[in-house]
Amino acid sequence: MAANQSSEWRTVCEKFRLAQELSDVESRKDPENNPFRSKYKARDLLKEIHCSLKKIQIEEEGEADNEADSESRQTVDKEPENECGKSCSGDSPAGLREARLAVVQYYLGVNHIETEELSAGEQHLMTCMKLIDKCTTTRENVSLFIQARNQLGILWAGRDEVEKAQGFLEIAESMYLLYMREDGQPPLDLQDFFVVEGEELSQQEKIRRFEMAYTHTLYYLAQVYKNLQQYERAGQYCHSTLQRQLEYKQFVPLEWAINAATLSQYYITKTRYMEARHCLAAASVIATLAGEIPSEAAAKESDAECEKREELLQKRAEIARCWIKYCLNLMQDAKKLLEDNIGELDLDRQEELKRARRNEEEEKEKGRKSAILFGSSDTFDSICSLEERVSSMLPLDFEEARSIFLVGQSYVAQAKEYFAIDGHVTDHIEILQDHSALFKVLAFFEQDLERRCKMHKRRVDMLEPICKDLNAQYYLLICRQLQFELAETYYEMMDLKLSVADKQDQPDVHTIKKFNHLCSSSMKYYQMFLDSIRSPEGKFPEKLEDDLLRPALVARFRVARLQSKLISSNPATQMENLSHSLESYNFVVQYCEENPEAKTAVETELELSIEMVSLLPLKINRIRSNIASCN
Amino acid sequence: HESKRQSDGDAIKVFVRVRPLTQGTGLMTDGDHSLCLTVSSPHTVRLHCKPEPRTFTYDHVADMDTSQEEVFSSVAKNIVESCMNGYNGTIFAYGQTGSGKTFTMLGPSELDNFSDELRGVIPRSFEYLFFLINREVERSGGMKSFLCKCSFIEIYNEQIYDLLDSVSTSLFLREDIKRGVFVEGAVEKYAASAAEAYQVLSMGWRNRRVASTSMNRESSRSHAVFTMTLESKETGQEVVNIRTSQLNLVDLAGSERQRDTHAEGSRLKEASSINRSLMCLGQVIMALMDVSNGKNRHICYRDSKLTFLLRDSLGGNAKTYIIANVHPGSKCFGETLSTLQFAQRAKLIKNKAMVNEDTQGNVR
Repeated sequence: MAANQSSEWRTVCEKFRLAQELSDVESRKDPENNPFRSKYKARDLLKEIHCSLKKIQIEEEGEADNEADSESRQTVDKEPENECGKSCSGDSPAGLREARLAVVQYYLGVNHIETEELSAGEQHLMTCMKLIDKCTTTRENVSLFIQARNQLGILWAGRDEVEKAQGFLEIAESMYLLYMREDGQPPLDLQDFFVVEGEELSQQEKIRRFEMAYTHTLYYLAQVYKNLQQYERAGQYCHSTLQRQLEYKQFVPLEWAINAATLSQYYITKTRYMEARHCLAAASVIATLAGEIPSEAAAKESDAECEKREELLQKRAEIARCWIKYCLNLMQDAKKLLEDNIGELDLDRQEELKRARRNEEEEKEKGRKSAILFGSSDTFDSICSLEERVSSMLPLDFEEARSIFLVGQSYVAQAKEYFAIDGHVTDHIEILQDHSALFKVLAFFEQDLERRCKMHKRRVDMLEPICKDLNAQYYLLICRQLQFELAETYYEMMDLKLSVADKQDQPDVHTIKKFNHLCSSSMKYYQMFLDSIRSPEGKFPEKLEDDLLRPALVARFRVARLQSKLISSNPATQMENLSHSLESYNFVVQYCEENPEAKTAVETELELSIEMVSLLPLKINRIRSNIASCN
Repeated sequence: HESKRQSDGDAIKVFVRVRPLTQGTGLMTDGDHSLCLTVSSPHTVRLHCKPEPRTFTYDHVADMDTSQEEVFSSVAKNIVESCMNGYNGTIFAYGQTGSGKTFTMLGPSELDNFSDELRGVIPRSFEYLFFLINREVERSGGMKSFLCKCSFIEIYNEQIYDLLDSVSTSLFLREDIKRGVFVEGAVEKYAASAAEAYQVLSMGWRNRRVASTSMNRESSRSHAVFTMTLESKETGQEVVNIRTSQLNLVDLAGSERQRDTHAEGSRLKEASSINRSLMCLGQVIMALMDVSNGKNRHICYRDSKLTFLLRDSLGGNAKTYIIANVHPGSKCFGETLSTLQFAQRAKLIKNKAMVNEDTQGNVR
């Protein structure tokens, strides 16, 4: 290009460089009361460049008219071969001239948008588009096509015209795909238009910038689809964005890892465990790229090290917590599939599912390979090997459940290291609650009742001390959750002991004592839960809040049942227990009478309560007459 | 008044205050006296929207003539009283810069005279609190004693700074099983009287101003949280009964600065600058999960520092009042609308975490 060498051209290039510098670097230092000072200076330079280009263009066109009259006629002859409506080829001298002008329009557009003059910005971007739309898409202008559309997408989304934004971005997307299919050579970057010879970007840098622009297209599309509530697609585009960041090494490791871990949680909610596992394995591997965790000693030395240590430990613990949820949900979903109508393991169903899985295994393997995978050449193997440590298939028996449980438990230990009770109370307790939930679902797979009971005992052991120490003034909701869970766990243990005892002929004193202890412990926690609802003056609310309605009535109902289960050989105590039980059943019935809307929330419990309210008095009277006759 | 008692269970109450029109605030053009709203009753405000006006309902709406004393009585009196009884309380001030937040909370700027009729909610709360303390101590005949500690922090750009220690670097939020969420290493100053508490407050407030020039921080971009921890000790027969409670007085950043975090609508997060990260990709994914089927999942992105610090006040068993300040000028229509909408949403804020009840196998 002859123009490249002229001193006039050199001035243009220098102005361009300066405008970029002003806009990207200097503008950050602008004062609060004049926040766009550098941007305005950059704008003036761009306008000057625009004038110079126009001047050069007129000169060049003049030369072209004189020297290559015949050539220009040839171009006209060629025209029908071009894409419809495109008057010149993107890589022709005319095409280059248009592209160069379009680049200036592009930067003017971005400049106006950044300085909050959106309409003017839009006009410049549209002019930019008009200029290059005359030309066929080539290596020279494809990057500009995509970036201008990205900007217009952002602009229109900001005006709440999401569909319009979607239109621009989707064209950018298809343009990239088409270019990569038909050409695929490293395209020119916007900056390449204004450099003197010898200062062009390297091939590698050109590719990097081009691919980054496209990654941004996908990233904007992810947001657009989210705003359009097309969640499935939004999820896909998030996945692709992450995938590309990794492929082109355009990411901050910790940030990437957290995004991938978050995506795993999305897949969990869609019960896509294979994808969830893949995201988590990738998150774990990529997080290690963020560098070594500074030692405690180093952290004490400098604030920067201290912050780095804190951040690395925290993010890794967060990822561990995502793994816990993975294990937990996998097991819970399996449980849902395998349980019968009273919540026990359905052996026929288990057999059936095992058979079905053997048949499916091959199919699954194929599907697995076609799924989008994360990883660059460096990390792919480590990601895959991490994946192999835990299954992504629903466990169907105790052994399978146990192996997932153990992985989950190891992440519990890891997460607890950072989220220690001292300093991270809420997080620590949430992890304990997950740990307890892991035991609970594992117990479902256990056939031996005594061993199952021991698993529940482990839950009690981890939750009880915390529940005792936790200050309800600050942690009311967590306290309630723990009280309720402990009550339920004791209740389950009571039921298990009852089943065991039913198999024996005559329960011994020790068993009875144990059983009564479980009953009263369960009652104690239900009672604590119910007491937490009372007003400061100790009054139980006449009307329960929505989110407390069911738990409170269920607690009352369970207390009633537990009261009647207590074993005693003393008739007076028996009578007292039954009266208490009747009182609680009555409470449920009366509350629902006074608040009919509560009926649907506790249908089964209400039905049984009504029955008990009619039966218990007979039983109580019988005992009373027994006592009377004895006296 | 029966309906008012019913709503006592609500964790959060909202008080809307309309400031008078004044010249030279930059929020109205000279001579433009048109208003964008009217206070239609003590509980409702009518906003002159097009095509038809909209009415918003709150626990209380105060018009331009409402005195500082009246604001204090309806908002803070009750909260200070329950603090004496061992409950935590929080008062937030929310609104656009220039809508009268500081006037409502503190009073006229550069206020040194403690008996000024125009003094705001905070000095009045101090007076009332120490009035109650002294009365309790007298009544109990020395069996009861109180200890009052103050801390004052600022949250700017998700960093926490100690306003009582101007040389401190940013601090961490931590949690303790007994004392809840606290700022680790924040200076605590004892106050034995309202005047002393006010001294601590004004010292910190000055630091806030200083910070705004030396580090290019604008005060309205930061949240300031003044916390009083009240410890009462009652010596009965051989038992010592200790109770603590907290009173948080919060001056939120100007609402116009928060547009980015609240109701952000459909605006796309941009990443065109090479160094800028795609962090908010995670926010997109999070939004996808909100419509999920109640699965047990973990969210890696934490709450903002402010909501974490005041977690207990946003639902749970603390008493909380939000004072939403609005400017009535028609030039402020947009900001006023968004403040009124925020105030209405605030009533719905609650910690949604609930008892995790297993409905399977309940009844055997």
